[in-house]
Amino acid sequence: MSTGQPLSRVVVMGRDVDLWLCVTAISRALGPAGVQVTAIALPTRLKPSDISATLPPLEAFHAKLGIKEPSLIRATAGSFSFGQNFVAGSGAGRTSNFFHAWGAYGAPIDGSAFFPCWLKATRYGLKLSYQDFCLTAVAAKNGRMLLPDEATSAFGRTDYGYHVQTMAYAGYLKSVAANLGVKIYEAHKGLVERDETGSIAALILDGSLRIEGQLFVDATGPDAILIGRSLDVPSDTWLPYFSADRFLAARAPAFTQTPPFAEIRIAGTGWTALHPNQAATGILHAYSSESLSAEAALASASAAASAKLADVSFHAVNACVRSRVWEGNCVAVGGSACVFDPIHDVDLHALQLGLVHLLSLFPVTAQFAAERAEYNRIMRRSYERIRDFQCAFYALAPFDGEFWRKARALSVPQALAHKIATFRACGQIAPMEDETFLPDSWQAIFIGLGVAPESWPPAIDRIPPNRFREEFHRTIEFIKGKVLEQPTHDGYLDSIGRSSLA
Amino acid sequence: MGEAIRDDNGSAPFRVVIVGGGTAGWMSAAGIRRRLETKDYSVTLIESDDIGTVGVGEATLPHIKIFNDMLGVDEAQFMRETRATFKLGIQFCDWDQPGDSYIHPFGAFGEPWGGVEFQHHWLRSQHEGHQRFPLEDFSYSVVAARNNAFEFPNEDSKSIRSTYSYAYHFDAGLYAAYLRSWAMERGVRRIEGQVCDVSRNPTTGDLTELTLKSGEHVAGDLFIDCSGFRSLLLGNVMGVAWQDWTHWLPCDRALAVPCKRVGALTPYTRSTARPAGWIWRIPLQHRTGNGYIFSSRFINDGEARDTLLSALDGAAQGEPRLLRFSPGRRELAWSGNCVAIGLASGFLEPLESTSIYLIQSAVTDLINLMPRRRSTGVDARLVNEFNRLNEMQYERIRDFLILHYTANRRMGEPLWDYARSMPLPDSLVHKLELFRSRAALPSHQYGLFARDSWLAVLDGQGIAARGYDRLADVFPLSVLEERLSEFRNRIQTNVDAMTSHDAFIANYAQALEITKPEAAVA
Repeated sequence: MSTGQPLSRVVVMGRDVDLWLCVTAISRALGPAGVQVTAIALPTRLKPSDISATLPPLEAFHAKLGIKEPSLIRATAGSFSFGQNFVAGSGAGRTSNFFHAWGAYGAPIDGSAFFPCWLKATRYGLKLSYQDFCLTAVAAKNGRMLLPDEATSAFGRTDYGYHVQTMAYAGYLKSVAANLGVKIYEAHKGLVERDETGSIAALILDGSLRIEGQLFVDATGPDAILIGRSLDVPSDTWLPYFSADRFLAARAPAFTQTPPFAEIRIAGTGWTALHPNQAATGILHAYSSESLSAEAALASASAAASAKLADVSFHAVNACVRSRVWEGNCVAVGGSACVFDPIHDVDLHALQLGLVHLLSLFPVTAQFAAERAEYNRIMRRSYERIRDFQCAFYALAPFDGEFWRKARALSVPQALAHKIATFRACGQIAPMEDETFLPDSWQAIFIGLGVAPESWPPAIDRIPPNRFREEFHRTIEFIKGKVLEQPTHDGYLDSIGRSSLA
Repeated sequence: MGEAIRDDNGSAPFRVVIVGGGTAGWMSAAGIRRRLETKDYSVTLIESDDIGTVGVGEATLPHIKIFNDMLGVDEAQFMRETRATFKLGIQFCDWDQPGDSYIHPFGAFGEPWGGVEFQHHWLRSQHEGHQRFPLEDFSYSVVAARNNAFEFPNEDSKSIRSTYSYAYHFDAGLYAAYLRSWAMERGVRRIEGQVCDVSRNPTTGDLTELTLKSGEHVAGDLFIDCSGFRSLLLGNVMGVAWQDWTHWLPCDRALAVPCKRVGALTPYTRSTARPAGWIWRIPLQHRTGNGYIFSSRFINDGEARDTLLSALDGAAQGEPRLLRFSPGRRELAWSGNCVAIGLASGFLEPLESTSIYLIQSAVTDLINLMPRRRSTGVDARLVNEFNRLNEMQYERIRDFLILHYTANRRMGEPLWDYARSMPLPDSLVHKLELFRSRAALPSHQYGLFARDSWLAVLDGQGIAARGYDRLADVFPLSVLEERLSEFRNRIQTNVDAMTSHDAFIANYAQALEITKPEAAVA
């Protein structure tokens, strides 16, 4: 393997999904190349009621790990989620709701992107909303799945995420990891032993067992036990960009018919996300402690969910990014690297990104300064693009109420300010590297929040208006027909076998 | 949406005025005319028959075909009229050290196996294998180029013959003329004349009107500066500062001369390193374009002229013409209502044939971000976006060009010794370190250059990777070696069946008066 001994012993300390997805990914990809993975599992912090929402790219990542979708859905009481339905309740002062779908919106018209064509047509009186042209949005709002075929593939992406029971998902990943030969130690505490260069030499578990390694991964979540507490790498706060400093997590009963989407209900004092799956509905209520007491937040969340909540817990939101996510021979992934605001459910995706880039930059030998530097650059950019997408929701929120007035007054990161300005001017999304969210998503959120572009790229003025009409009509008919062909979400869940957790 | 979008149907068209009629001017005019409504935009181009165009950009990148296709240009006709030949890549001779040569192709090296990029597999075979084939054996376009063969890429993406694309060598003066008639037939107004005065709005500083030597006044809403190095509007009038890159790209002069065509038509550009710069060779149907790009710090014009003339493979057609330039770019390509395209916005030596690409990408971005209405004028937000994209394009190409210079083993030659030791932009340092450590190639979503281009030049310039991706070790070595040798044979067999470039041109796009002597070069 060229100069130097290959790096072959990786020790991952952490807990829950951060830990188990990490060891599964490294072991699956690099086990055959001789890399040995040891997992040091700290006690879980999960409650049976926790539900995680995931973003579409997880499906492909699972496939690489050999995880089969039906078995995962059964094991986790999982359901499919084709997007987020934003609903402004009374007190938020705005009734125009919108759906942010993960799938594609519209299809190009005579070689031009769909969005500007729709934008221009609305100027000339078109009453159909942007989401009416999104196949998966229409299917989901009708309680349907969207199983892709040749015609839908030609139309565009039909992406989806999942709502899984977090504890079951972590357990599922743990068994995959064990089958891959990952060595697992349970511990309450790990003490770091450093060598003369300051690198981590070993971890001492519960005061006795000593685990040596060449590369250590911190998957301990926001505690950041290795990279933060032991290596003292500070975090850069993102709090000035977000108006919620607390969130409440709880469980509500399952819906009789499982909606194939998340719902974000807006109130004057914050927002509440409903993540339905087969067994329950996860409730997450984000608010500001300056305006709401814990009791008031609970009342507000219960009202938003229209249900009695169980397993209620309160958490601080402390959005921040580790200033270096790879320090010495320690790599932070997931919550130890970056803590996000809860909007848009990005945590698992950020973990996935950290793992994907770690695999593609996995050290060849113990000389990995170039890889470390690149990893730090690329992760920082990737996290910031995700953060910007979250910030846009707060900066542009048109809702009434103290919470939203504060949100609109927050500072806006420069790259986001540029994106918003470009969009306002001409409806286009300024292309940037390392984006998680596609232009369709940016446009759906911007339009949904009521940002009205003042113009459009002039090239579409060459397309005759009757071409718009024809294509809009054709698209709407196509969507109607395709949606009717689809099984209901519940029907599909039945067909792959219901979860024993439900 | 309400009042946010206001349209002024029936109002006077937005007036675009282009100054300068070289490749940049006519590509801008043709692009705008093709993509935007005639009733919404008027296009006027001012050019002077007395001012020559630079036209060193005779070699192109494959993107040019997208531009031509957008215009609806008939390829064979365009090639006949511009005396064009096909280009599969660029050959670099003596760049790493004298005697070496490699080709940077418009095509892939090998293919990824098991989700692992090809260079890792190839490097593993270099480290551990029994047969050590050079990298270029795994590029269809390099093998075809070395055989002087050409054919169109196959459309079946499973075929090895689909793994490349192509560009052209053409006479840039004739290309501009071709676009000129294309644009003028479609309503672009051409004014022959020279700008002698520029009026500005005293409040906003925007340009309002140009006065020509003839006394004619040309008013406009947007002015495109295609005046070349002089940067008549953006540099001189708007006063946008120049960012100098001489410390990274030391060459600042060029001598250009065509010579008689001899021998077979090579389907590639050749660039040969010399003690104080490099010499280009661009094969056209009727003649061969040549030039010496050099640094005036390391050689004088007379010696450079002698070096160039002694390097020609056919009789020189006229006296070499001297061009002076500085590498770098204007800090903003668009300021107020003045946008510069082409050399007026910046200059990067034609080492990787990027001049026309930079024009094309600027024209595309400009059309996309063009103001829609005369009443509101230029939108500063869109200007910012244009400038951001333009800067990204320039910086990425810049790093790639610097790589050719800094990674050399031409010891004892002052220019090359300097290039080896000069401080590099951080962005390039990172790329080099990462390749050295693990053969990782830069990958961005936007702008030039793609991974395989970096691989060609990094390997060609002799930069060795210490390691490669561990995932490559998952394959049994014997399986890898079998695949490599099968892939290599497949290329060779297919290339052996190809037509020669000469025969292909003769059959497809032979210029009519190809035997006529060439008039003096523009």
